[in-house]
Amino acid sequence: MLFDIPTLRQQLAAAPIVSPYPHELAVAIICDTFRLANVRPPSRQDWLALEQYAHHPLWKEQVVMLAHLLAGSALRDDSAKALKKGTEATAVLRHFFEDIAPLTAEMVRSNAFRQEEFLRKWVRALGGLVLNESAKESAKRLDQLDYRKAQQELKRAEEARKQEAERREQLLREAQQREADARGWRE
Amino acid sequence: MTLSFPSDLRVAPRAHIRRDTSTQRPHISWADAIARGLARLASVADEPEARARMETWLENLRGALLASPYYVRRLQEAGLHPGDLQRLEDLSAFPTLERETLARHWDAVPTLPAEHDECVVVKSSGSTGAPVRVVRDRLDCLHMWAVLRFLVARAGAVLPPRPRVVLLDALPGGLEYSVRLPIFHDGALHRVSALRDDARERLCRVRPAVLFSDPEGLRWLAEQGDVPTPRLILTSAQHLPAGLRATLARKVPAPVLNYYATTETGPLAWECLREDAPGRFHVFAPDVWLEPGLHEVVVTRLRPSVLPLLRYLPGDAGTVRRDACACGFHGWTLADFGGRGACHFLTPTGRSVDAWALAWVFKHHALRAFRLSQVERSRFTLELAGAAEADVGPLCERLTAALRNLGWLDPQLRVSHVEPATLATGTKPQPFRASPRSG
Repeated sequence: MLFDIPTLRQQLAAAPIVSPYPHELAVAIICDTFRLANVRPPSRQDWLALEQYAHHPLWKEQVVMLAHLLAGSALRDDSAKALKKGTEATAVLRHFFEDIAPLTAEMVRSNAFRQEEFLRKWVRALGGLVLNESAKESAKRLDQLDYRKAQQELKRAEEARKQEAERREQLLREAQQREADARGWRE
Repeated sequence: MTLSFPSDLRVAPRAHIRRDTSTQRPHISWADAIARGLARLASVADEPEARARMETWLENLRGALLASPYYVRRLQEAGLHPGDLQRLEDLSAFPTLERETLARHWDAVPTLPAEHDECVVVKSSGSTGAPVRVVRDRLDCLHMWAVLRFLVARAGAVLPPRPRVVLLDALPGGLEYSVRLPIFHDGALHRVSALRDDARERLCRVRPAVLFSDPEGLRWLAEQGDVPTPRLILTSAQHLPAGLRATLARKVPAPVLNYYATTETGPLAWECLREDAPGRFHVFAPDVWLEPGLHEVVVTRLRPSVLPLLRYLPGDAGTVRRDACACGFHGWTLADFGGRGACHFLTPTGRSVDAWALAWVFKHHALRAFRLSQVERSRFTLELAGAAEADVGPLCERLTAALRNLGWLDPQLRVSHVEPATLATGTKPQPFRASPRSG
């Protein structure tokens, strides 16, 4: 199944989120998507297990965002077409939520890049392909968008900058000390 | 009101003259490459190709954002990261940087400079807002000379060997100096103060090939008789009145090139030299990217610098569009440029006078900010922030005299003291304002 990401994003932009769905409704929308594909949706126990597995404060809002994206665009129908019979729904969701762990609902709602990342990771979890892109191009784009990786990169850069600043400060202190010592000798 | 001011209150920043000009030599090839890059992009007719060329510069910008403490924090807050910036269109999803924010975080926006960057901190002129401290590396400081190479070629000016450049200065203080200028065809730079008695003689002695000045300096130049004609005159005018341009053309028949620059960003665009295209500023791409289709100037600096500027708002109005100009330029052009608060006052006889012709008056006084508003044909209000009481009398006297010279026989001036914040409406204070009733 080919997913048309720009069209999906246009549809989502035309259907802004006025208020978030209650968690139960969001779960129902996601389950319906699996049912549309004749795939057994996760049971109540499966959802509890998913939440425990995620063990993440953002998990519930991510469930709500997925439901919004499914209901607010052609993503639900496209997803149903992409799901193969016998797909393990819980495994798909576990893989997806693991993949998008650092994304908040606000990021997905208001940030074009994070919304695209969310959509593309859902497509990847379903084993779908992106329209007009080779698998290699899609992987490259996801790599560019990967917020988790970027956060680590930002953290590394910040630490390196701090270390360098401290190193320079230390060098400066040492130079000042040397200068003071030398002056002492002359005096 | 206090009578002592911190040093940053001066309108005219103090100059530090760098004498080790031979250190420019290693950067000559860089300056040449910058000029060639500008010329090359100005000849690319195909927009997608031009964009693709500019997007190759984004990789460097991504690295600079990652090395800037301010941007690391700001992007994290917005759920963004430098890797999101792959195309010029992506910029619209990134946060803007206001002038006030840069002023507040001036030391956190730059990347950690290397020793060989030879960074300096300069202050932007405070004449259109509180001064901003701007960190510049050596190449930032030399960039204008690289751009000048391009502009000279653009204007078709033929320079003599070892051209002499004059910075004709009408600021108070009368600072003058002469230094070698290896980076500009092994020339020399002379700063000449128009306020000195021997300014005309010095100008005649130097015989500049290129002359830089502001409208007040050009006004002085137009009043002189028999001065050498440079091959090119440049002005980074706030607003260059058409009348002044015409007078200058009669007295000193050299091409006048008006460019738009800010201390924070460096040169951004130059006004088309065609006489029938005033007010159309061609953008210095690929050094800077000015976002098209907006009603204000939004600048992203693509040229590498210690100070990454992403969607910077200098506070000037204008709209950028893709353009194929009759002058031969292909690229992006800034039109409807309302920068620097273009404003016209009406004299009692109904003649329109460029309010910026009064700007020089304020450069003689230490102020944090000011606003001169015409409320009726002969009535003005002057709001002052941070002015010493002792300074107000002479300022009013000077201003009244200047208004008389411009055609107001009996100007009435009401002065009030205000907080700087009250004058900072919008992104940049508008120092001159004409109320609807004045017309």
